[in-house]
Amino acid sequence: MAKYQSVFKQLLEAHGGPGFEQDVRNLILPHLSDYAAEIWTDALGNLVGLIPGAGEGKRPRVLVSAHIDEIALVVTRIESGGFLRVAQAGGFDPRALVGQEVLVHTQSGRVWGVIGAKPPHLTPPSERSKAAKLEELYIDLALPEEDVRARVRIGDRVTLRRAPVDLLNGRIAGKSVDNRASAAVLLEALALLKSMVHSADLYAVFTVQEEVGLRGARTAGFGLAPDIAIAVDVTFGAFPGQAPDESFPLEGGVAISFGPNLHRRVFRRLVDCAERHRIPYQIELSQRPVGADANAFQIAGPGLAAALIGPPIRYMHTSVETVAYDDIWQCARLLAHYVAEVDALQVEELTCY
Amino acid sequence: MLLKELTEAFGPTGFEDEVRGVARRELDAMGLSVRTDVLGNVIASTGEHHPGPRVMLDAHMDEVGLMVTHIGEGREDGGLLRFRPLGGVDPRVLVSKPVLVGERRIPGVIGAKPVHLQQPSEREKPIPMEKLYIDIGARDADDARRHVKPGDPVAFATAYDELPHRMAKAKSFDDRVGCYILLEALRRWKGALPVFGAFTVQEEIGLRGAHAAAYQIQPDIAIALEGTVAHDVVGTPAHGQSTVVGKGPAITVQDGQTVAHRRFAEFLWETAKTRNIPVQWRRVKGGTNDFGAIHRVGKGVLGGAISVPVRYIHAPTQVVSLDDVMHAIDLVVAVLDEIAKGGFRP
Amino acid sequence: MRDWVMRLMDFVAPSGSEAAVVQALLDHVRDAADETWVDALGNGMARKRGEGPHLMLAAHVDEPGVMVIDIDDRGYLRVVSVGDVHARECAGRVVRFTNGTEGLVHADPSAKGDLDFDALVVDVGARSREEAERMAPIGTAGAVHVPHVTWGDDMVMGRAIDNRLGCAVAAEVFRKLAARGLNVSVAFTAQNAVGARAAQAAAFQLEPQYALVIDGAAADDVWHDDPAISLGKGPVLKVMDRASVVPLEGKRAVEQAADGLHLLLQHEVSRDAWSDTGAIQLAKAGCMAIGLGYPVRRAGAFAATADVSDAKGLVDLAVATAETLLG
Repeated sequence: MAKYQSVFKQLLEAHGGPGFEQDVRNLILPHLSDYAAEIWTDALGNLVGLIPGAGEGKRPRVLVSAHIDEIALVVTRIESGGFLRVAQAGGFDPRALVGQEVLVHTQSGRVWGVIGAKPPHLTPPSERSKAAKLEELYIDLALPEEDVRARVRIGDRVTLRRAPVDLLNGRIAGKSVDNRASAAVLLEALALLKSMVHSADLYAVFTVQEEVGLRGARTAGFGLAPDIAIAVDVTFGAFPGQAPDESFPLEGGVAISFGPNLHRRVFRRLVDCAERHRIPYQIELSQRPVGADANAFQIAGPGLAAALIGPPIRYMHTSVETVAYDDIWQCARLLAHYVAEVDALQVEELTCY
Repeated sequence: MLLKELTEAFGPTGFEDEVRGVARRELDAMGLSVRTDVLGNVIASTGEHHPGPRVMLDAHMDEVGLMVTHIGEGREDGGLLRFRPLGGVDPRVLVSKPVLVGERRIPGVIGAKPVHLQQPSEREKPIPMEKLYIDIGARDADDARRHVKPGDPVAFATAYDELPHRMAKAKSFDDRVGCYILLEALRRWKGALPVFGAFTVQEEIGLRGAHAAAYQIQPDIAIALEGTVAHDVVGTPAHGQSTVVGKGPAITVQDGQTVAHRRFAEFLWETAKTRNIPVQWRRVKGGTNDFGAIHRVGKGVLGGAISVPVRYIHAPTQVVSLDDVMHAIDLVVAVLDEIAKGGFRP
Repeated sequence: MRDWVMRLMDFVAPSGSEAAVVQALLDHVRDAADETWVDALGNGMARKRGEGPHLMLAAHVDEPGVMVIDIDDRGYLRVVSVGDVHARECAGRVVRFTNGTEGLVHADPSAKGDLDFDALVVDVGARSREEAERMAPIGTAGAVHVPHVTWGDDMVMGRAIDNRLGCAVAAEVFRKLAARGLNVSVAFTAQNAVGARAAQAAAFQLEPQYALVIDGAAADDVWHDDPAISLGKGPVLKVMDRASVVPLEGKRAVEQAADGLHLLLQHEVSRDAWSDTGAIQLAKAGCMAIGLGYPVRRAGAFAATADVSDAKGLVDLAVATAETLLG
């Protein structure tokens, strides 16, 4: 049974953009300690837990990753009146930012703010048809300018403020479901693996700075140099107006990615594993290197066998990203069963083309 | 004939198996040490016990192509295949071309609404890829699913042919011409130097195979062998042609991802000149090749590219001069000779 | 420092053609180093072994420019950009090539709209293709020539002040840290202006635990009433750019060092820059890399202005930060 729903919601309320993931890391740490024999943080801030496999001799080495950073904003300027201008760390749709509540993370703690929205009464018709640009948006802290200047510095990070919302059928909406949902996948999978025997040494990695260019995955992939590296990351939930090959129904199960930069034998093993264990899955096609940690893993050092799985979510990169916990659970089942089944032969066949 | 076999081999980016098979067969016949890495790169080596410099010769096996993404289920599109590009494909070259789909190489065609039925405004715009379909002759979706599935790669179905005046046409001279040059150069070259031939995957989606191959080889010198853009055609001024077909292999001073190592570029040029091999500078900045990735790997790698001019690169039918191909082989062998003699010190 | 920087500015060194200025910089630090070398990509490196963790200093030596890509029958040169250079900035200007040849850039008067490099030729006074090939062969790089100017003791305007001033800072910090017996190296990096292509190879060879990367920071004190970064107001901590985010521990070390020196510190967030910092932090399994800067008006342009007093503050800040990090 799933045991991390409430931890998942805590993760959604934690704040951690690219380069300042420590709060999320600290939240995960005690849970990871329940499973890992060794835990460390690398130079970039990736949190790594090693769960050794059973058996003597050379064991397969499998890395599973979930990035824990969320998209964020960064203060670029303090305007007169104390209004803040921002740049983005990760890809926002500026149209989804208007009227959004935020937290500014200053040296002396968090400060509440709201992204200003011009009232319709004052908006001429010509302006209404135009989408907001990030450069035109500002954050209002509702504080006197002196207070703002005393507390806020250029470079301070800003994250969305949003308490998770429970929808019907175990669906949960909130900010940073991308990719804390996958952090929950890793924890659930570790819990499942505890009652299984696995010969592989498993590295559970909570990576940083994915949203600004898969940076944590690059150093983790190089530093750990596993035989197989599986990224867990969210994908696009089905929604009207999206192309059929870019839409995956919620509760449709694990999205398993297939494409040129993912190892085809690992893909086939994942599909086979899902079939045998009656885990619902859907196949996601990519024609280019995927936009997830698996992209960096594939060309880390001498090259790694990379794979990508994940739950579908709706409304990606907004504050109401929506996931079905059942998809998280199914992802965890697949990950646990796959890791339990990896053996030396499977590693050997990775170079057989 | 090997160049024909290589260009007709099915190898969209990420699905290079057939090309890999040809390369491995030829390399095994030469008695070289050959291995395949986790990405699918084939790496052959010779003379590893000789003192350096370690030389990496690179050619990529993949070609641009398409991937089936969806099988139409409706009344109008039932059994027609939707697709997306694998690598840089201009949708304007796709209409009215035959293709091969998937592992079983099912023939298909890319059609379009007849010109008679198009609005005048439609005719003025290229047809976007979302509005094109591959037709394999299936009656409906179930019929299509018996032969193909989403995820199947698609390649152009173009036959290799030789033309008068030592010209040839085929698909995927980019970069099977490089694979051919690399194979023939390895076959001909006999000398005392550690030489690594890397037949790489996934160049067309970001030079990915070469990145990993270079890390494994850790070369001192690397040369990418590549079909490069030639646009020596009507309406193009001399400075926009990049290279001229028939004037010999081309050497790069700068492209989209590389500023050439000046001394090495001059070494390539002088080596060609002293052996009376025709050679030309590549005279545009756009585009790149595997060396763009290789030179940045590890501690940094010195080198460059030797390119064969190819007209209509990335289109279903491409044109080269076979003399340029032969001269490129001559130049690669000459360059290895010179390096082995100590004619270029890294 | 000012006169030394102005001598460095005299070198024409577009990305990929940095050899001469790299040699000048290595000559300057050689006596303080155990070894110096130039790598395959053109980075100049100096290493001094010492106590404690290894700290790498880096500053890019290259500048944006142009390169000869074709020569026509009449001896006119066609050029393309090296790095982020726009054709319109070159029209009507004098180009000086690395071999000393100079030419005047002509723009096609019939070209419509925004200029591109196809609309430019460079006249080097050659009477034939052969003569032009001797004067500036295909592949020769050059830069738009801007004579430098000084105002008062510290204000300098000219070509390539961004980042020759940073090179001078990195060299001086290296000498100071080496003199204290610390474990330190410096990389004068090549090919930054074409997208930070060489810095990672430098870090791959040096394998530092920490890196301080010195570069210009874009000042906005000409057109803004409330500027984020001003000349004369001290060194800059680079919080974020397109390739890096400063690690919190690093940020604290810099701020602590600035407080200790009673030094004003400015903060930069750049939407545009691809820094060497980002490349260096991702070499091998990663290291802690921190970007430090000095304010530059018109950073990245052919003519830019900096205040050498900011760079002097930056030397002190970098030394104090290194001492904080290396404990």
